[in-house]
Amino acid sequence: MNILSFLRDKLLLYLLHLSCMMALAVFLLATGYSADGCLLVLICWFLVLCIWTVCEYHRRKRYFSRMEAVLAQIDQRFLLGELMPFSDRLEDRLYREMIRQSNRSVIERIHAAEEQKNDYRAYIEGWVHEIKAPITSIALMCENHKSEVTRSISRENGKIENYVDRTLYYARSDEVYKDYIIEETNLADVAAEVVARNKYYFIQDGVQAEIDCPDDVRTDRKWIAFILNQILQNSLKYRRETGAMIRIYTQRRAKGICLAVEDNGIGIRQEEIPRIFEKNFTGTNGRTHGRSTGMGLYLCAKLCGKLGIGIGAESQEHVGTKIMLEFPAGTFHMR
Amino acid sequence: MHIVIIEDEPAIRQELALLLRNALYEVTAPDDFRDVAAAALAAAPDLILLDVKLPDESGFAVCEKVRAVSDVPIIFLTSQTDAADELNGMLKGGDDYITKPFHPPVLLARIAAVLKRTKKTGAKEPDVMEYKGVRLDIARGSICFQGRQAELTKKEFQILYYLFQHTGKIIPRMELIEYLWDNQVFIDDNALSVNMTRIRGKLEQLGVHGLVETKRGMGYRL
Repeated sequence: MNILSFLRDKLLLYLLHLSCMMALAVFLLATGYSADGCLLVLICWFLVLCIWTVCEYHRRKRYFSRMEAVLAQIDQRFLLGELMPFSDRLEDRLYREMIRQSNRSVIERIHAAEEQKNDYRAYIEGWVHEIKAPITSIALMCENHKSEVTRSISRENGKIENYVDRTLYYARSDEVYKDYIIEETNLADVAAEVVARNKYYFIQDGVQAEIDCPDDVRTDRKWIAFILNQILQNSLKYRRETGAMIRIYTQRRAKGICLAVEDNGIGIRQEEIPRIFEKNFTGTNGRTHGRSTGMGLYLCAKLCGKLGIGIGAESQEHVGTKIMLEFPAGTFHMR
Repeated sequence: MHIVIIEDEPAIRQELALLLRNALYEVTAPDDFRDVAAAALAAAPDLILLDVKLPDESGFAVCEKVRAVSDVPIIFLTSQTDAADELNGMLKGGDDYITKPFHPPVLLARIAAVLKRTKKTGAKEPDVMEYKGVRLDIARGSICFQGRQAELTKKEFQILYYLFQHTGKIIPRMELIEYLWDNQVFIDDNALSVNMTRIRGKLEQLGVHGLVETKRGMGYRL
């Protein structure tokens, strides 16, 4: 609000004053008043009008500045209705009441949506836990009756497990802080466990594996296993036809430990690398090599962010891809 | 070794019992959960596999009851993956905590580890395995025959170790490879043949002939 826009807003009022002034002048001159006296009356009128304008402008200016300050201070701006400064003007009071009503309905909607979201997440988590019982039975049955058929079933069961896992971790990814234990973690053990989980694919597709992780880090074992599993699955999916190879190794860096998963697969196009951690990004490989959901690496990056792990990628088409996880040195606490 | 399985899901209970019996454990799996802690203790087990979610009371409660009278090792099985649950299980006196869906080889390894750690009936695992006069030294990773000795690589040792555990049985190549992958030896079919040739070479040097038979199209037999 500035003085010009304020004046423009009051234009009608000023025109009214102007016409009244003219009417008065005409009336006074017609009834024989002197021109000087008439001018004096008009100047007085004009001065009063000016003083009123200045006062009114300042009052309104102060009122709206206070409102803007309130808006700037609170992060839930839909609460404005409750925090609006008091005004003795009828219009302000009416507006305030209306804004409050409107805000109240927004707040109700927000609560309802939040409740719905929580319900849904609880349902998904419950569902994931329920589906794990049959997945476990199937895995046990396959282990107890080994044959070509049960190996295939095991492989498919493994896929189901991975999808279910991803669902659970996606549902939880906003609330990592509720569910983690930071402990000294032996990365070699975690890597071996994840590789063993995927052994059917490695063996069937003739993919070589190598683990060289002598360094321990402080992190949550479960989350890091999930992240590693996602990365490994990508490496398996986008492998080269023959002589495929995946290396998981650690390197000591100045700022901490770097865990790298390096493959000699089909690689990622240079221009797509910056986008691979984006949600729903599938890229050329995702379209040409079977279904890609664009969720795996997105989830990895999100969880890494929550756990304070840096994630990065290097790749060259037809040569291979390297995904790096940077564990910062020293005592790290959850963000 | 006697293991009690407390698990309310019949399919898992049965298959788990079968898995453990195949791994040469004695198994009791009650299907009545009203006073399961007492029933489990009555079986005098060496280890209890305990599901967290049971029909009448939680596995944690059962664990507390068992702990009140016995310090038999307990491994929790659960489909909950919360860190809070895991801590809870440990605080209630569990020895390990395995989440479903677990991988059978991992479960067996954890059971063996807990049994070894708690040493209920002494260390069951022998230091040396012997078959037809050939001794496999587990601690040193070497093989001996009539006083002569040959060192084994990790891969060769794991292959022989599995064969020594299943003497007289034909081990399919695939089963052997899968076992190796579960034990951090990542080799494929060709590499298995190469390692087998090396093992045979070492055995020949020691003067052992025809210890490992190749069953064409089927696998190996010790």
